[in-house]
Amino acid sequence: MLHYTLRRLVAIIPVLFIVSIIVFMIIHLTPGNPAFLILGEDSSPEAVEQLEQQLGLDKPKVVQYVDWVGNIVTGDLGASIYSEQPVSEIIGERIGATFSLMVVAMLITLLIAIPTAIFIVWKRNTVMDPLFLSGSLLGTSIPEFWLALLLVLGLGVAIPIFPVAGYVPISEGIGDWLHHLLLPGLVLAFVEIGLIARMLRDSMLESLNQDYTKTARGKGVKESTVLVRHVLANALIPTTTVIGLTVAGLLGGTVIAETIFTIPGIGQLLIDSIHRRDYPVIQGVVLFIACVYVLVNLIVDLLYAFLDPRIRYD
Amino acid sequence: MRLKHALPLLTILILSLILAACGNDSPSGETEDNAVGEKQSGGTIDVAFNSEPDTLDLMSNASSPTRDIAWHIFETLVALDKDFAVQPMIAEDYNISDDQKVYTITIREGVNFHDGTTVASEDVAASLERWQLVSSVGKTASNFIEEVKTLDELTIEITLNQVYNGFLDDMAAPKTGLVIIPKEIAEEAGEKPLIPEQLIGTGPYQFENWERGKEIVLKKFDDYSQREETDWGGLTGKKEATLDQINFLIVKDPQVKLNGIKTDLYDYAQSIPTDLYEVVETTPNTSPVSYINGYTMMIPDKSEAPFDELKVRQAFQYALDKEEIAQSTYGNEEFYNMDGALFDPSQTELYSAEGTDAYLVHDQEKAKELLAESDYNGEPITIMYSNNNEGYKRISQMAEQQLEAVGFTVELEPYEWATYLEKWQDPSSWDIVTIGYSTRFSPNELGFLVQDKNSSGWYSSDRWTKLMNQWALAASSEERQEILAEMNQTVSDEIPFLKIANETTLDVMSDDIQEYDAWIGPRFWNTWKK
Repeated sequence: MLHYTLRRLVAIIPVLFIVSIIVFMIIHLTPGNPAFLILGEDSSPEAVEQLEQQLGLDKPKVVQYVDWVGNIVTGDLGASIYSEQPVSEIIGERIGATFSLMVVAMLITLLIAIPTAIFIVWKRNTVMDPLFLSGSLLGTSIPEFWLALLLVLGLGVAIPIFPVAGYVPISEGIGDWLHHLLLPGLVLAFVEIGLIARMLRDSMLESLNQDYTKTARGKGVKESTVLVRHVLANALIPTTTVIGLTVAGLLGGTVIAETIFTIPGIGQLLIDSIHRRDYPVIQGVVLFIACVYVLVNLIVDLLYAFLDPRIRYD
Repeated sequence: MRLKHALPLLTILILSLILAACGNDSPSGETEDNAVGEKQSGGTIDVAFNSEPDTLDLMSNASSPTRDIAWHIFETLVALDKDFAVQPMIAEDYNISDDQKVYTITIREGVNFHDGTTVASEDVAASLERWQLVSSVGKTASNFIEEVKTLDELTIEITLNQVYNGFLDDMAAPKTGLVIIPKEIAEEAGEKPLIPEQLIGTGPYQFENWERGKEIVLKKFDDYSQREETDWGGLTGKKEATLDQINFLIVKDPQVKLNGIKTDLYDYAQSIPTDLYEVVETTPNTSPVSYINGYTMMIPDKSEAPFDELKVRQAFQYALDKEEIAQSTYGNEEFYNMDGALFDPSQTELYSAEGTDAYLVHDQEKAKELLAESDYNGEPITIMYSNNNEGYKRISQMAEQQLEAVGFTVELEPYEWATYLEKWQDPSSWDIVTIGYSTRFSPNELGFLVQDKNSSGWYSSDRWTKLMNQWALAASSEERQEILAEMNQTVSDEIPFLKIANETTLDVMSDDIQEYDAWIGPRFWNTWKK
């Protein structure tokens, strides 16, 4: 197990290396120059040239790339062109908001999706099943931004239960924190609930006819216990994969929710940095997101072994 | 179960939407602006601020987001009052020698910087030095500055190499003017923009914190050295920091701003699209705020065919129906004004209506004729604009139709701002740009007429240069008026750019904010909150 984990961790390095090259190429091939932005529209060419020199943007691209990668190896992601703040520090400041949003969204998703799936499997031969299918389809098809605007109008403005925008760190009170995150969390969760509940329902239906289920029933175990202890437990493996992908997907989804609810997270940071061509920050954030993505996948794989002791990696 | 949950939710949503819609129709309970209660000090104001500035270095950056926050922190040696006349600010007084070349400026005693030190003549000298390096207006002025001497602790003497009457205006420019910062910081920063730790000024509010992407916080500066003049206004005179704190929250989406104002999340929201004016007007407990914000224009690239030829530019002018463009761009007549002059009518010292007769001429036949006589052979012309501004887009689209109607072939090229700035440098990537400039306060600040630069479409004119030289020498109001009229005429004859319309900006504020004066942008001194 340990050996496997280590091997997987080492395998991340080439992935990140390829990501770094792609990111660097894309952003440096896009026109735009931070020097123009810093100096404004009335700037003189000499001033722009001078600033480029100070920022190290006049060096050949290959040199810039090698410098950057060289620093990363020593753990230094560089510093923002605008604030001169280290990129790792900036990501550290922003990750709290994004992570909070993801946790809240994930909790809402699981709290709704898992009971729903169990309920539907329990009532599998009633009208609930087709209703559920169309409902989950609707959930996954609703555009996030539309739902967000609707929720804000309904539960933020007309009936002001939730704040329409903003974010409060958890350190300033858990109640306030949750109050600000429920609406955006719900928006993010909406799509995922349908997806995960359906996935879970399908795998549960599959394991309903397995031998172990029949044995359990034959022993006279209560139907609810059969559903939770035998059917659900065995259906969790494929669902875990989807949940893992969802966590990674949420990282992308937060961009929209963060924009609409003005939450200062990683998504907003990325967009703002792209707009102002803050190269070190863009590169750092994308690399960070890639890291999270790969790590989440690794954790999911390790979870398999935990959920199903038959799976062994060594 | 899912559907069971979804149905009530949907019902709530639909009901809320109906409620929201009704709310907008009901008559607003707007309170009288003048019904001011007892003046209160303290409190925090939350401002939904349109876009995060790239820097707060007011001396080097001429963008409006920088200005609107930084002018709470920094002050200039001399500054504009509400009528756009130059008055002392950090300066006590100034004296200009008889030959108009030597400026002796005395500094007020005991003007405190936010770091606890007081302004001395060496700080002014160091700021002046940096200003000539980093400010576009400062660079113009540096051509005339021969010598800077500190006579004593509070007196500075600036000698010019020739008479230059734009000098005071340059120092007082609301954007990139002569901001006074401590000597060490001016020297340390040099050409680099100030970083947050270096944001030390003398203003009524001091820089507290900048959480990128979220907010910029300013705190009341307790040891502010206040002037006494209550009738000056603008950027000088008495500035009282009544509020304890100003939070500039970065909120880009107009809908979020309006929702936030309605639910008391914000006290003030900046830059609301003018087509939402009716919504703003009918929102209870809020008032619209509007102020002049320069004008929009289309600038042809005069360094290359086809617009290097005057006839093609004339055809361009005759082809445009500017009233139609402005009408469809701004909608509400409260938010634009058709005036052909280089400055706003409210800028009495700078405004001249003379020489603007050609501004609204529109004659398609004449345009076709001129185009036929010219060397233009139907090659596609590119109109480039930045898609961060809805107005630029609409103007460009209207112009495209009108230009094609007289025989131009037009291609539109929208870019996001950073790309736009880069493409703007290269004459081969565009033929016309659509852009706006905020209100300017001296002919030196008209970036779209600076000779041989991308921002003016590589305008090169002996006539304009001569006028600028005359401007530098002009001493009396009458002389200046004459030159301003001639400047209008020159623009009208040579067509370096085509002015579309004067713009008015729409902000919205809560009725809790008292004695607020919009002037040319959001300023939160002398204003207080109920």
